[in-house]
Amino acid sequence: MKGKVDVPYIILFFFISVGAIIMFIPYLWMVLSSLKSNLEIISPSSGLFPKSISFDGYKTVIQEAPFMRWLLNSTITSAAITLVTLFTSAIGGYVFAKYRFRGQKIYFVLLLATMMVPFQVVMIPSYLIIAKMGLINNLLAIIIPNLVSGFGIFLAKQFIESIPNDLIEAARIDGAGEFRTFWSMILPQLTPALSALGIFTFMAAWNDYLWPLIVLNDTNKMTVPLALVFFNGQHSVNYNVVMSAGVLIMIPVVIVFLIFQRQFIKGMALTGMK
Amino acid sequence: MQVQTETNMPSKENQNQKTLSDLYKKKRQFIFVTLTPIMVLFMIFFVIPIVWGLLLSLYQYNPLNANSPFVGLENFKELLRDDVFKKTFWNTFKFIIIAVPGNIFLTLFIAIGISKIRSRFFQDTFRTLYFLPCIAPLAASAVVWSTLFNSDRGLFNMILTNLGFSGIDWLTDPTMAMYSVIIMTLWADMGFNIVIFIAGLNAIPEMFYEAADLDGAGKWDRFRNITVPLLSRTTLFITIMTSLSYFQMFPQFQVLTNGEPQNETRVLALSIYDHAFKYFNMGYASAIATVLFLIILIITIIQLRVGKSNWEY
Repeated sequence: MKGKVDVPYIILFFFISVGAIIMFIPYLWMVLSSLKSNLEIISPSSGLFPKSISFDGYKTVIQEAPFMRWLLNSTITSAAITLVTLFTSAIGGYVFAKYRFRGQKIYFVLLLATMMVPFQVVMIPSYLIIAKMGLINNLLAIIIPNLVSGFGIFLAKQFIESIPNDLIEAARIDGAGEFRTFWSMILPQLTPALSALGIFTFMAAWNDYLWPLIVLNDTNKMTVPLALVFFNGQHSVNYNVVMSAGVLIMIPVVIVFLIFQRQFIKGMALTGMK
Repeated sequence: MQVQTETNMPSKENQNQKTLSDLYKKKRQFIFVTLTPIMVLFMIFFVIPIVWGLLLSLYQYNPLNANSPFVGLENFKELLRDDVFKKTFWNTFKFIIIAVPGNIFLTLFIAIGISKIRSRFFQDTFRTLYFLPCIAPLAASAVVWSTLFNSDRGLFNMILTNLGFSGIDWLTDPTMAMYSVIIMTLWADMGFNIVIFIAGLNAIPEMFYEAADLDGAGKWDRFRNITVPLLSRTTLFITIMTSLSYFQMFPQFQVLTNGEPQNETRVLALSIYDHAFKYFNMGYASAIATVLFLIILIITIIQLRVGKSNWEY
């Protein structure tokens, strides 16, 4: 085998590479288009590469749009949702795994059953409830309905069930309160499950489009995906502007992904979720 | 010492009992304090909306109107008369029937290809490149793709005209639009399934292939008799999850075509949004949502049934 040219392997490598390049082309297009000038972008003879590099698009984004505000809105809502969801999932999972109480089974089945209900069924009454609370155009409208996750509680329960009861009893005998026991005994052992859940919760919150579209319409309150679509509606001709906004939005996401990639992929295998 | 313990005996027993009931009380308190906020939030934003949403389909509800009469099944009868709804219903299935198998087929072969790459570095790089679109917001990807599809200045027509073909109206030609949305969806969504398939492939014990080699099995035999059956559970899981999520796809339909041309790309999820938040026919929108709910319910029941059968290997 050695030294011989492995033709099928080369063909395989070639096709996988071509596929990977095709997957990357929209990003390349986005970056290159963002560097075209306002004038060049509307000329039909413009090619893939900009004739001269221009930062017109970026200037427009920074000057005309509350870009930092959008990033901040997304960061605040996604971080709040993720932190609280991790906490409610862990503590809810702990109570369902290690305590016995009346109605336990019914509550748990209820939590699981709602996981499969499509968001389109829930969104209309949720909108009416949020409107009654007077939270339309308020970032709290994004945060509050997303603080509890049926899947998160389920995942934490599965993990906690494998922790021996003796450990919990030992902590109690040492005089630790119920919350202390949870915080110092259970939580540290949940790290792999919670880091996976955290990554996915954050990403789902960051990327969510439909719910923000329903409850936010003030430009200053928008989260990033909603803002980009809104911006696209205003600058559909000069799409170098929209592409610049796209690049600015994607850069932090890609960097974060490349840093956490390993945990990310592991988490997907661990939880089988997306 | 001895004496002291003896004399303390009765009171200690008492104390033990006291601490036991104390502990019981503390436990109850803990359960109450932790579970109440969780269940309240859960009731307000999941349970009540589900029940309310299903009930709403029996009313002619418009938040701008003063009264909202109970109309029974009138909304559903209206659905059956509504040609746009019928078209929407079949469009959704068209999207699923093409996009889901397309996704499974492509991701399975890409995953097998990547897992055969010998260099660890290239394996990881390829996986990252194929996965990259999944981390972007679907709505943002759709915005980028709307410019790729642009008839005059988009990349795809630029390539076609440079090769001497005439350009395609990717998003405005009624026969083409749905396929354009499917192409974009596959680009954006394949990475998840590729990663899960690679994990599934890695979980197949190497000894099966070694045994097959000893028996002189060819490459095709190995694929058909080992990879395919042992990957069937992963494949089933992926098929169900992909179908469930594709039935609810919304951003790319709204951003790329908004249901046009001639309602060719109008799907249930988009229709529910439009009826509820554009025309404020929330009763009618809830009726469509109920239809979507039933479809998802049926798929979930199938999944639970099939998932229970014997999968050991």
